[in-house]
Amino acid sequence: MTRIDKLAFGRRQALGALAFAGLALRPGLGHATGGSGTVVAAIDNDPPTLNPGISTDYATGEIAAKIYESLVWLDVESTPQPSLATSWEAASDGRTYSFKLRQGVTWHDGKPFTAADVKFTFDEVLGKLHPRMAAVLKSLGAVIETPDDHTAVFRLQRGYAPFLVQMTVFDAPILPKHLFEGTNIPAAPASQAPVGTGPFKFQEWNRGANIRLTRNENYWDKPKPYLAEVVFQIVPQAANRSAGLQTGELDVVSDFYMPKPDLPRLMRDASLQNRQGINIPAIWFAMFNTKSPVFAQKEARQAVAMAVDRPRLVQQVMRGIARPGVGAFGDGFKWLVNADVSYDKKYPLDATKAKALLEKAGYDGSPIRMVFDAARPQLRSEAQIIRENLRAIGMDVQLEPLERSVMLDRVFAKREFDITLQSFFSAGDPAIGYTRLYATTTSGTNNNASGYSNPKVDELLAEAATAPDRDRRAALYKELQVILNEDLPSLVLFDEETVNVATKRVSGLWSSVDARDRWAGVRIQGN
Amino acid sequence: MWFVARRLLHAVPLLFCVVVLNFVLIAATPGDPVTILVGDFPAPPGYVEQVKREFGLDQPIYVQLMRYLGHVLTGDLGYSFANRQPVSTLILGRLAATLELTLTALLLASLLGIALGMLAARWRGSWLDSGVQGIASTGYSIPDFWLGQLLILVFSIWLGWLPSQGNMSVRGAPEGFAGFLDHLRYLLLPALALSFRYLALIARITRAAMLEVLSADFILAARSRGASETSVMITHALRNAAAPVITVIGYNLGFILAGSALIETVFGWPGIGRLLFDSISRRDYPVMMAILLMVSVTVVLANLATDILHRAIDPRVGDR
Repeated sequence: MTRIDKLAFGRRQALGALAFAGLALRPGLGHATGGSGTVVAAIDNDPPTLNPGISTDYATGEIAAKIYESLVWLDVESTPQPSLATSWEAASDGRTYSFKLRQGVTWHDGKPFTAADVKFTFDEVLGKLHPRMAAVLKSLGAVIETPDDHTAVFRLQRGYAPFLVQMTVFDAPILPKHLFEGTNIPAAPASQAPVGTGPFKFQEWNRGANIRLTRNENYWDKPKPYLAEVVFQIVPQAANRSAGLQTGELDVVSDFYMPKPDLPRLMRDASLQNRQGINIPAIWFAMFNTKSPVFAQKEARQAVAMAVDRPRLVQQVMRGIARPGVGAFGDGFKWLVNADVSYDKKYPLDATKAKALLEKAGYDGSPIRMVFDAARPQLRSEAQIIRENLRAIGMDVQLEPLERSVMLDRVFAKREFDITLQSFFSAGDPAIGYTRLYATTTSGTNNNASGYSNPKVDELLAEAATAPDRDRRAALYKELQVILNEDLPSLVLFDEETVNVATKRVSGLWSSVDARDRWAGVRIQGN
Repeated sequence: MWFVARRLLHAVPLLFCVVVLNFVLIAATPGDPVTILVGDFPAPPGYVEQVKREFGLDQPIYVQLMRYLGHVLTGDLGYSFANRQPVSTLILGRLAATLELTLTALLLASLLGIALGMLAARWRGSWLDSGVQGIASTGYSIPDFWLGQLLILVFSIWLGWLPSQGNMSVRGAPEGFAGFLDHLRYLLLPALALSFRYLALIARITRAAMLEVLSADFILAARSRGASETSVMITHALRNAAAPVITVIGYNLGFILAGSALIETVFGWPGIGRLLFDSISRRDYPVMMAILLMVSVTVVLANLATDILHRAIDPRVGDR
């Protein structure tokens, strides 16, 4: 039976109250049959929803990826693999994708999964409410046809190279039409107590404490899943997540929740295992406000590039678990890096040249406002090092750490900053997460707040996102770097390397590029 | 009775002002709840508008305030847009955990604080007195969230005796009495961390009050009548020294409740304090308003209860 939100005086709480009266009566929690063991994974907070079709919240994705599935999943090379779709065909012009759907799959409530669920999900949820996909689907003019119950055909008005890699459970989870149709989707009961086709079923949500999933006995990929339960324990303090791994209270902590200063210690711990490397490319960058008096001139931005010690940032901020920035798109996608115009060549550390560039830009010594999210300790260290670097060339940097929602308002709505420190990731393809950093935009959070607008860049970005040929795309991205590495609306400081950590008792983790996905094959020893 | 009724009547305009002031202050805080709600990527404008309309965030502030006041007067605390639940449901779901933590902390602080204060007063100038005064100074100056981290480091990581997070075992949770003991293991560290500051305060107040009383003539008289030292300390001295101690305990209930926000966050304890902390970071206005109102009501009631108790213990305090 599914239960949500155990209320006030739930059993465990009631016990606490009874403790004072010396009573102790406590029924136990039910356990699922089949599979064995419970894996406890950390999250940082209650997710805003358990519907991945309407939110890109990390914890929502972490949990939903075990409950829901998508047409494809991405292996560690970001190559699409069959999931709810068993096969697919793409037309040569990249404008038609035809998916054959898996037969015999049922939702956790026993209803059959059909092509109607796929069409409903794209038309009514992702196309209207998904923070990433709504804009993508709209711009593609996607029309979904379902010639039969087990076929879904996507017709696009233009090609879109990352279409398949974006068909994952994080961007395109398939939701049950019979539970969402005709409802206010964000407020629908199934957005709080999800019903999916995935390896684990939602069991209960003890708000503030944990979310418990149990094994789906009717999963299509038998004998998986191997675990009896997965529990997401809410651990608000980052330091206590690494402590939890060491005390055995936690089994798995994703990179997103990991306090970076603790990583070297955890990576040396013999009882723990980790996966290190760039899996989902992510760049950390300093975005300049090109409309501010100081950074309106590109020479001022270039001066910063020559003054900031990027290798030092990697060592001191990321404890060496990153790579110094090389260009506008980092080096997470090896195929697009343009070594000819890399930062190493264009902007070697040189305080004298930086000062000369500043002088040419007409910098008058006025204070520079550097805005960043105060809740991220790495950004604070990063800001302090950059301030020190820039002081050496005569810039007066004032740090403005702001609470996250205030920072979003200041940077992306009001654009009241000179430099802001941010990080973006781009899962599977640069067009998914990095286009927004340089394309002309006037509003909206987490995109190009620099005010930089270059029609040539917009044109190249659009073509790079749609060209079906990889070589052509690489050429376009290289051409973009020629312009962007020169204009520097943002200076990429480093490419983050993710480190996911788990106890050695857990096996079968990390078969996908996204550590949150593909848990059907996970096992645990000794519990 | 008149005293109680008068005090409760006085509380009405006070609570009204608290609600209005909280609403205005929260509304004036920069930051947008919709941005937090929809996630990190640029959300479609249509969706943002839909969310704003759904929660009335597209209305002017004074309209929102009037609506809110109307709802509160009918007992409706609103709807949490970050949690997609009625606020009263959310708060009720967390209340037991916070009461459990704060009452345990208050009990620990009161019992240990009074005992240490009495011992220090009885053996004034001894090493015991110095020790208690040392604990009192330390306890009063250490931030409780830092103490919490320290306790986790020592008792969870180094010694491995107690769990660091949550309020129950999440796998293989024991049943019956063993389950109760398991729960106590989770309660101990956060309760200690939360109580230490108040333990220190109560010990200092008790010591000072006891020293004053112990030098009074009636104590000398009791001793000369041959009363045992235990009887002198508890029946005669403590009872007469109790008034300021009770005042301090009662008046600090609100602070303990407010202080639980950080301790619950440090220990992952699923209570009201954590809910407040999370609601602030998510700009979940209805939940913030309701919790602040609840804390205000608790402070008013705790102060009233303290005054009533004060009158019961000390007959010299009466109606004026």
